[in-house]
Amino acid sequence: MITFSATTKRYPNGFEALKGVSLTIEKGEMVAITGHSGAGKSTLLRLAAGIELASVGSVLVNNQNLAKLKEAGLAVLRQNLGLVFQDHKLLFDRLVFDNVALPLEIAGFTRIETGKRVRAALDKVGLLNREKANPIQLSGGEQQRLCIARAIVNRPSILIADEPTGNLDQAYAATILELFKSFNQVGVTVLLSTHDTLGLERLAYRRINIVQGIIAEEQVVSA
Amino acid sequence: MQAWLSTHTQALTRAYKRMRTQPLATALSIAVIAIAILLPLALYIVFANITNAASRLNTEPNVNVYLALSATDAEAKDIEKKIRALGSAASVAFIPRETALAEMKKRANLGDLLVGIDSNPLPHAFAIKPKSTDTASLDAMRRDLRGLAKVETVTMDFEWAKKLARFVEFAQRIVFLISAVLAAAVIFVIGNTIRLQMLTQKDEIIVARLIGATRRFVRRPFLYFGALQGFAAGVIAVIAVIGLTSWVGSEVNVLAASYGADFQLRAPTISQAAWVITGGAILGWIGAFVSVSMYWRQGEWKS
Repeated sequence: MITFSATTKRYPNGFEALKGVSLTIEKGEMVAITGHSGAGKSTLLRLAAGIELASVGSVLVNNQNLAKLKEAGLAVLRQNLGLVFQDHKLLFDRLVFDNVALPLEIAGFTRIETGKRVRAALDKVGLLNREKANPIQLSGGEQQRLCIARAIVNRPSILIADEPTGNLDQAYAATILELFKSFNQVGVTVLLSTHDTLGLERLAYRRINIVQGIIAEEQVVSA
Repeated sequence: MQAWLSTHTQALTRAYKRMRTQPLATALSIAVIAIAILLPLALYIVFANITNAASRLNTEPNVNVYLALSATDAEAKDIEKKIRALGSAASVAFIPRETALAEMKKRANLGDLLVGIDSNPLPHAFAIKPKSTDTASLDAMRRDLRGLAKVETVTMDFEWAKKLARFVEFAQRIVFLISAVLAAAVIFVIGNTIRLQMLTQKDEIIVARLIGATRRFVRRPFLYFGALQGFAAGVIAVIAVIGLTSWVGSEVNVLAASYGADFQLRAPTISQAAWVITGGAILGWIGAFVSVSMYWRQGEWKS
């Protein structure tokens, strides 16, 4: 469960990306944060992942106040989150396999277990045959799927994805959203941001529209 | 336990892989560190050998009094009484000139040379152990002995040995100082290498931190990297010193033997070599730790 309580995020230059947002995302829920570019979607996701801290108010993830967590505690929390970044944040000096293996290395898995889990994750996103490739050899869609594989390899309870379909064509976007749907169906809480709802039509989710840092609209959408 | 072992094995493997991916940079870095270790190690070995040789020297004060050749046995007996009467001698041993000549023939194999000499060229002598070893008392004693009739020469042959012992002690301190300075240099060299490594691995560090890596996880491969470099440099330094001692040592041993000295240049022992290699690894670890800590403090991984 993720809870935002009157959360404001103010950057050093004085810009308020989020203004007193209160929001609760229940366990196993699928939530899409929508809004125009610069509305505050990414900031909300970064706050949920503990990458940034709230200036005012609080953010609780699994009942843990992120502002009160020490660095090591925050690291452990992040190990239990699956993060999909808008710019993928892949390591181009590592093979596809090694990119996906990174969260498992951090968690201290053995090589055998790592091998099993990485291949399972790559299989899920359709990249099993590319495990020995360099990420630079992958297309944009494949890179996005690789990022998703890295996010799910640790079997997280919460998946946070920032514009996962942002730079993809409609066919790829639909594939990736189907993936998120499948994760959500097995109980994973999915929180994603998108600047349009194209491709979300076939999913059941809660849509939260943000305008200039404020929740302007909330809507439960059925498939 | 298995997770701990797996994490450390992976960190060690990653550190080793990083070294292998930059063979030239790694080799240069190890060479610089090896030289920094080699210099104090070589000096230490040289001075350890000198100390060892010096420890076998007699540094106890030994005053020798040589009488004039014209001094008779009776006069010698009289002088011995006077020496004892001075009160500054702990023991006085009279060495008659005949005994001295016999000793000389026996020790230096000069028998053939001395055959042609009609008279004994050696004087009566006294070997004295002074009660006090401080400089003022010894000077006073030398003055008193010189003042005695028929006393030709007074020598105090321990002084050079004492000077050598002092020099060795001084040299050991210099070696310690040089070692400390070069140990700091090793830390800086490794620290700088690690800093460059961290800059090239910046993306990996940022991503790893974003997906839950602790500082320990990020730091660990760099610590192993530093330790491996220090270890390798230690091994090279030890091998180089062994090579040097065997190359120079054979000549030194021959030279020392030609002077009748019992001196052999010895290579580092196994325990000394182990200490040097371990020390290199520890210095590498410290250098890496300092570098990574500074990197964290500057918050470079955040950007």
